[in-house]
Amino acid sequence: MAAVTAPTLPGVAGEEPTRLHVSDYLRWSVDHKIIGVQYMATALFFFIFGGALAMLIRWELLTPAIDLMADGQAYNSLFSIHGTVMIFLWIIPMIAGLGNYLVPLMLGAKDMAFPWLNAFAFWLIPPAGMLMILGYFVGQTEAGWTSYPPLSTLFSGDGQTLWALSLHLLGISSILGSINFIVTIRNMRPAGMGYFQMPLFVWAVLATSIIVVMATPFLAGALTLLILDRVAGTAFFNPAQGGDVLLWQNVFWFYSHPAVYIMVLPAFGVISELLAVHSRKPVFGYRAIALSSMAIALVGFTVWAHHMFTSLTPELRIPFMITSMIIAVPTGIKVFSWLGTIWGGKIHFTSAMLFALSFLSMFVIGGISGVMLGSVPWDIHVHDTYFVVSHLHFVLFGGSVLAIYGGIYHWFPKITGRMLDERLGKIHFWITYPAFFLTFFPMHLAGMLGMPRRVAQYAPEFQTLNVIISIAAFVLGISTFILLYNIVWSLYHGEKASANPWRALTLEWATSSPPPSTNFIGDPVPFPNPYGYGTEAAYNYVESQNKKYGTVNPADYLPAEKSTAVTSE
Amino acid sequence: MAQNVAEQGLSRDELIALRNKRTGMTVFQISWIMVFVCLIVVNWQLRSNSPTWPPAGVEPLPWALPTIVTILLVVSGWLVHNALQAINANQLGRFFGQWRAALVLGAAFVAVIAFEWITIPTTGQYSTVFRVMTAYHAVHAVAIGLYMWYVDGRVRAERVTARDTWAVEAGMKLWYFVIAAWIMFYLVLYVL
Amino acid sequence: MSSSHPPSPRSTPNMTPSLALIIVGVVVMIAGGLGFTLFIPMILPPQASTQAQQVDQLFTFLLFFGGVIFILVEGVILVSVIRFRAQPGDLADGPPVSGNTTLELVWTAIPAVLVTVLAILSYTVWINTRAIPANEMSVGATAARFAWTFNYEVGQETLPTTLNFGDLKPEIQADLTDEDGVVHFNNPKLYTWVGQPVVMEMQSQDVNHAFWIPAMRVKQDVLPGRTTEIRFTPTMAGNYRIVCAELCGSGHGAMAGEVGRDGELLGAWLIVFENEEDYLANFFDPAAATVLVPPDDPALLGRQILASGAYPCATCHTLDDLGWTGNIGPNMNGIGDRAAARAQTTGDADGAAYLEHSLRHPGDYLVPGFGNLMPQFNPDPGQPNYMPQSDLDAIVAYLLTQTANPSN
Repeated sequence: MAAVTAPTLPGVAGEEPTRLHVSDYLRWSVDHKIIGVQYMATALFFFIFGGALAMLIRWELLTPAIDLMADGQAYNSLFSIHGTVMIFLWIIPMIAGLGNYLVPLMLGAKDMAFPWLNAFAFWLIPPAGMLMILGYFVGQTEAGWTSYPPLSTLFSGDGQTLWALSLHLLGISSILGSINFIVTIRNMRPAGMGYFQMPLFVWAVLATSIIVVMATPFLAGALTLLILDRVAGTAFFNPAQGGDVLLWQNVFWFYSHPAVYIMVLPAFGVISELLAVHSRKPVFGYRAIALSSMAIALVGFTVWAHHMFTSLTPELRIPFMITSMIIAVPTGIKVFSWLGTIWGGKIHFTSAMLFALSFLSMFVIGGISGVMLGSVPWDIHVHDTYFVVSHLHFVLFGGSVLAIYGGIYHWFPKITGRMLDERLGKIHFWITYPAFFLTFFPMHLAGMLGMPRRVAQYAPEFQTLNVIISIAAFVLGISTFILLYNIVWSLYHGEKASANPWRALTLEWATSSPPPSTNFIGDPVPFPNPYGYGTEAAYNYVESQNKKYGTVNPADYLPAEKSTAVTSE
Repeated sequence: MAQNVAEQGLSRDELIALRNKRTGMTVFQISWIMVFVCLIVVNWQLRSNSPTWPPAGVEPLPWALPTIVTILLVVSGWLVHNALQAINANQLGRFFGQWRAALVLGAAFVAVIAFEWITIPTTGQYSTVFRVMTAYHAVHAVAIGLYMWYVDGRVRAERVTARDTWAVEAGMKLWYFVIAAWIMFYLVLYVL
Repeated sequence: MSSSHPPSPRSTPNMTPSLALIIVGVVVMIAGGLGFTLFIPMILPPQASTQAQQVDQLFTFLLFFGGVIFILVEGVILVSVIRFRAQPGDLADGPPVSGNTTLELVWTAIPAVLVTVLAILSYTVWINTRAIPANEMSVGATAARFAWTFNYEVGQETLPTTLNFGDLKPEIQADLTDEDGVVHFNNPKLYTWVGQPVVMEMQSQDVNHAFWIPAMRVKQDVLPGRTTEIRFTPTMAGNYRIVCAELCGSGHGAMAGEVGRDGELLGAWLIVFENEEDYLANFFDPAAATVLVPPDDPALLGRQILASGAYPCATCHTLDDLGWTGNIGPNMNGIGDRAAARAQTTGDADGAAYLEHSLRHPGDYLVPGFGNLMPQFNPDPGQPNYMPQSDLDAIVAYLLTQTANPSN
């Protein structure tokens, strides 16, 4: 890109570029952008930790016997902490970080509604994470991330108690963060932006936050009872003393099923942004996508017991099957709307778009296996088997994580002022995509054929499948480091990013990259339709932004005559 | 809360901040009441496993004293409401009277529940679930009571004035929360 | 680029798919969906019960419709990325199409209809698989960390033909004529025969377990504090693994049927015989006879009790005499010698007292390198893991015979 002349950032006279030192991110700060980055960096750390545990799991499963781990209990701790860390310390904080960074920008606001509370919610996470890791090393956290009693109350080891305390903190952090999102979205939209002019990512964060504030208190309740049973001698889950083991399952899943939507709805939001921007076409059926998030949030509260199809009173299983099947409809609407968005567009194969497309192609498998699992008789056969492990990874890795990857490539320029390296991005994609599929797809088969989940030893006939899965998993694990390397390298050596490298219409691009500490100079005026691509008005809007802030175009957005790629004021 | 006269003198940023605080409080209340709903669900599920409730051979909870303090608690809600109106109207004397009377009623309520807590049998699900519910509620009542005590001090120190009475309004709304949560619990524990 | 109008696109791709594309698409979807279902025999365990037939049929529908949707979505993505990729340097936007109400209604209605159909199908199968047949055989199942024990009963009508009621010991006769009129006995394996419906009555001694026979496509959690049921009717003779599918602790993975080094079946298996005669001859009669005519020698009785799988020892301990190969707990080979030696350090009167204490309070004497995982066997029938004193005495007597150089 020799021809590119770097613009002066942020490009508006009188404003000094916001150059932040690493130490600014290690301190208490109430700036939502710093908090957002703090969330994301913390989450990435735990992603590596949880991923390392996953590698150990796959190492153990190379052979049918227990060999790597000292005993079954050590293996049980491994996957219990892997699951908990990935859900509560990677995906949820990562999405909270993205939301924190983007929601005020997308709304043209200076900050979140409660900056102090925002920082407080973040700073609950590092100690909670430390407790969780401590719990792992103390041991006896062997009941899975679902921690069903009586197994989770059987032993007095401190690991399980630390686990519960850690989740308590994370739950509170999550609730405080979501209150902040709801208030920000409701009260701080700029003039001219009604609910139906909001970017779909904001809609998704709103729906997610509603789920968090309504459901997470149930987790708090369940954990309180679990801790009391463990340390105070109560017997809520002990049937010998009038307690009930299904009580935990009901209360826990009342939170934890919606938690799936907490993890995946923001990913849907990310995908709606990415697909529209990189295929240069308005989102197809904006209202349908926005409202289906709300429908999913609502119906999501009525499906929890499909996790209990083998334990629930048989008569109650059918109603939950019906609600679980219904929730496929709004999800289907989203998938078809996304297909409608890319159809007929002008697809730019940026790394962000590749990950968004891979999300679309992989998430649908999770959706299909989800409908299968909703069917009671079939679920009974594959319940608690590798089929379920496969399904949940297609939803949470194929869904949330691939979307997060896409989001990182898309918003990294905004956050850091530098582009991620596209060539490395494509290498990352072409290793991740097949490795992901080969890791998780064969798990369906293992489960159907009779391999239960959460076992360190298995019948010898499943070894071939497991070896394939493990090898693919190791490749998948390694591919993550390409992303990390790219992030670190680009932070210092990446190409300078302009305010709006993707020529997008949402407000976060209507300011310099990275934005100044007040986010915007003056009050930003939102483009009436956040996805109004293909109109002259939209073209002129982007051009006027570029005029104001300067442009540096990423390779894929270069005009044909590359030598005159850039204009600056 | 209807806007009082003083609020009209607030700047735009101050008005936005106040609006955010009010929305935030509402969302928080809706959210946190779910923990209490969760405990009610726990109560119901344990109940449904027992042929009778209280289980055979267990004395039902005494209800007379708790009913009286429940009524006192509702009265305290009316008092805090009056106190907010008083301070908005800049009638400090009336504010202190109402606010402190509410605090006294709240303290009486917590004392009676603590007495019940100590005197019922220590074992069995019927007692345990009662203890957990009331203790959980009492933690909130005490914490919010302490906050109201702190607000009292702030008003005395003239840090809260008729121009910005959010601290008092927050105390009132949190106290409403304590009352609403208790009424739900009272119905579940003593009536239904 | 300072021009104020968008660069004109090189080509405006036609958004309306051609009729040919639609026809090809539909054909590929249906053919592909059917194609996926051809794999079913390869990706499912043997179909060995009436329930399995129904569930597999349902799965065929699920896979077909799932396959159709899968091909539709992947197909649209594939066509889009080929047909609608931006040409290099094309900075123009796509057409400003932001929705189509008819299309949106269609793709809301089709999934809605589809899931309704699947829900109805599932409901029908659910009802059929749970139907209660007239002649079903009830078998008890007890789950304990980390083994299954199946509980059978023998009464006067089902007395093995080789035995005469009059020849039995008086206390056995009394058991056969008292109120419930049966003698209970245990086995670590589950036996039945082709066409015989089985209903399992399951209880857990400790934590949650789940009873799963992949070949029967049935699964049910086994929960402490309640009895749960499950029904299946085998249609094919054979040996099928019984698997614990709910995490129950360190030995969870071991709580499934295993094939030993010499090909023998260890742990929990469902053995389906061809017919009732085989079942009686190969399992029921000999097994019933051992409990109806117990040996007088306590050591032999103890061996018989342990061999029956009445207590969940085999998953965790190794004992060559009984073919146990577990390694979650200490090795029991030569325990007779070690018990006597340990008794001196623990202060127990003798090896027998040491072993008794170890069964009643396993947590007190942990062997270095092993955790406190063993169930506590209680003398009181009201408690979980009940072990009557008579059983305990016999087991201890047997274990004491397991010396480094067994005399027998």
